[in-house]
Amino acid sequence: MFIKGSGACSECGTALRRSNFRLQLFEDPYIEKEIDIRKMILKDFNKKEEDFTSLKDYNDYLEMVESIIYNLTNNIDVESTKKQIEFYKKDNKDLIKKNKSKLSKDEEYLEMLIQQEKQESEVQRQLLQEDEARQKNMKLKNKETLIDELMFSEMSAADIMASHRELTKVTDTSSTLPKKATTEFSTGIKMGVQDTYIPLSKVETGELYKYEPVEVFMCGPKFLSEEELAILGYLNHVRGASNPDRGGGYRSVMACQRALQDSYCGLYYFPDSGAAS
Amino acid sequence: MYGEGYSNLPSEKTIRNFATVYKAKDTLNGNIYAVKKIKLGTRQETADGINRTALREIKLLQELHHPNIIGLVDVFGQKSNVSLVFDFMETDLEIVIRDTSIVLTPPHIKSYIVQTLKGLEYLHTHWILHRDMKPNNLLINHEGVLKVGDFGLAKFFGSPNRVYTHQVVTRWYRCPELLFGARNYGTGVDIWAVGCILAELLLRVPFLPGDTDLDQLSRIFQALGTPSDADWPNMKDLPDFVRFKTFTGTPLKEIFIAAPDDLLELLKSMLAMDPLKRCTSTEVSGEASLDVITTRTHVIIIKTCVIIIRIGP
Repeated sequence: MFIKGSGACSECGTALRRSNFRLQLFEDPYIEKEIDIRKMILKDFNKKEEDFTSLKDYNDYLEMVESIIYNLTNNIDVESTKKQIEFYKKDNKDLIKKNKSKLSKDEEYLEMLIQQEKQESEVQRQLLQEDEARQKNMKLKNKETLIDELMFSEMSAADIMASHRELTKVTDTSSTLPKKATTEFSTGIKMGVQDTYIPLSKVETGELYKYEPVEVFMCGPKFLSEEELAILGYLNHVRGASNPDRGGGYRSVMACQRALQDSYCGLYYFPDSGAAS
Repeated sequence: MYGEGYSNLPSEKTIRNFATVYKAKDTLNGNIYAVKKIKLGTRQETADGINRTALREIKLLQELHHPNIIGLVDVFGQKSNVSLVFDFMETDLEIVIRDTSIVLTPPHIKSYIVQTLKGLEYLHTHWILHRDMKPNNLLINHEGVLKVGDFGLAKFFGSPNRVYTHQVVTRWYRCPELLFGARNYGTGVDIWAVGCILAELLLRVPFLPGDTDLDQLSRIFQALGTPSDADWPNMKDLPDFVRFKTFTGTPLKEIFIAAPDDLLELLKSMLAMDPLKRCTSTEVSGEASLDVITTRTHVIIIKTCVIIIRIGP
C-alpha cells in the first residue's frame, strides 16, 4: 500500500502517508496517545519556575497544563481547549520562543552532574588499575624474598614463614591506604578526556592545471565549426530540431556535425603499398 | 593474452548483479588487473546472446583510450564465459565521499571534477554519452587518478531520428529534461550529473535524493527554483511535462556555506535547467577557475581508504 510513500485506505479511502505512521511504543494505545499529546502540548507550554513570581502561580499553571492534556486525551471539550491553547500561544509567543532555546536550571544541573560523574568514574578506574599493578608487584617481590631467605637464612623455615605472613599483612593494608589520598589529589584534573585535535591534511599544491583541447584523430578533412555549418548551409540538409527536441537539449548542429565527421573520418587513409602486398 | 595468462587472487572478489569481479595478476608481467567475469546463466537466458550492458562495454571501451577513462586491457572467452580485463582501481569516489575521516579541500574537489570532466569531454567529442554518471562509477586508483567507469548505459548520440530512452541515469543524478521524458537529448544529461556530484563533494551527502521521479523534480525545483518559460522555453513541449508549483529556490551560497565562489559559479552553470544553456565539458575544463590540481594529496587520501575493487555496474 505504501510503495509510493502514500496511498488511500483500502476500506474508507482516506489518504494516508507512510511518514505519519510509526511503531507503537507502549502496549496501551491510551498511554501512547496521552504521551503524544503531552509532547505536543509541552512544546508550547514551556514556562519554567523562574518565570513565575510565586510558587502558587507556578502550581496553578502546571495544573492548567495537566487539565488541558487530560481533556484532549479523553475528548472532553476539545474545541474549547484547543481555543484555549491558541490563546495561550498568542499571548506568550515571545516567551515560548525564548524558552525553547534555553535549558532549564534543572537540566543544566543534571548535565553538570553527568559530566562530573563521568570524570569521577574515569579517575576511579585508573586508580584501581594502578593499585592492582602495584599489588601484583609486591606479591612477586615478597615471594622472591621468601625464597631467598629460605635458601640462605639460618633461621628455621617455620620462623621465616611466620615473619613473612606478618609482613604481607602489613603491605596489604598499606596498599589500600594511599588510594584515598590519591583520589583527593587528582580530582581537579580532567582525566580520560583526550584532546580531539584533528590535524588538517596539508594542501600540497602540485603543478597548475592547464587545459589542453582533446585531439581527435580524424585522418580526414578538418571538420567545420558550428558557425561555418550554419553559414555554409549545411544545416538545411538535416532535420531541424522540433520543440520537444530543443527542450531536451538536442540541436540539429549535433546531427549535422556528427554525420560530417563520420563521413570525413579516414578519407586520407591510404594503406601503404608495402603492407598491402 | 589468454585466460591462462591470469591467476586469480581469490581472497578479493566482489559479486555484482550479473558479473563477478576478480582481482587478478598477469602471470606474464606481474601487473594487477580487475577481471570481470560475465555470467551467462542458463541456455534459455543466453538465447538472446550475451548481456547488452556487457556488449556495450566491450564495444565502446575497446576504442576509447584516455587517462581518465577506465582502460579495457583484454577480453577473453573461456568455456561459456566472457571475461573483461580492466585496469585495477583501488576505490571509487562514493567511498571517498562517505568516509568522513577524509578531508576534502577545494583543491581536491576541483581535481576530481576536472578529471571527471576531461574524461567526459573525451567521450562527448567522440559522440558518446555515458548516461550513468555517479560517484560510484568514478573509480580512483592508487595514484589518485580518477577514471570514468561502467559503460553499461553508454550510447552514441547525435542521431536525428533515433528515439532515446529517458529511463537512464540513477535518479538522484538525473536531469530535469530526462525526468520530463525527453526522447532526444545531448551532453547536458552527463553535465547535470557531474553538477550533482560536485554538490555531493561539497555536502558529503547526496544533494537531491529523490524517492520517486516526481519527488526528484520537486526537490530540484525546491533547491534551485522552478524554471519559468523564459528560463527554459521548450520545457512545456516535453512529453511528460507537468506544471509544478513555483518555488523561488534557495541561493546556492546558503546551501553550500563553506564553498568558494568559483565552485558555486561552476555549480550554477552545470545545474542550469535548460539543457541548451547548460555548459559543456569543454567549457568547464577549459575554464580558468579550475586552476589547481594536486595529484599528490590524493595518494595520501587514498591510502586511508578501504582497498576494494569495484568495476562495472
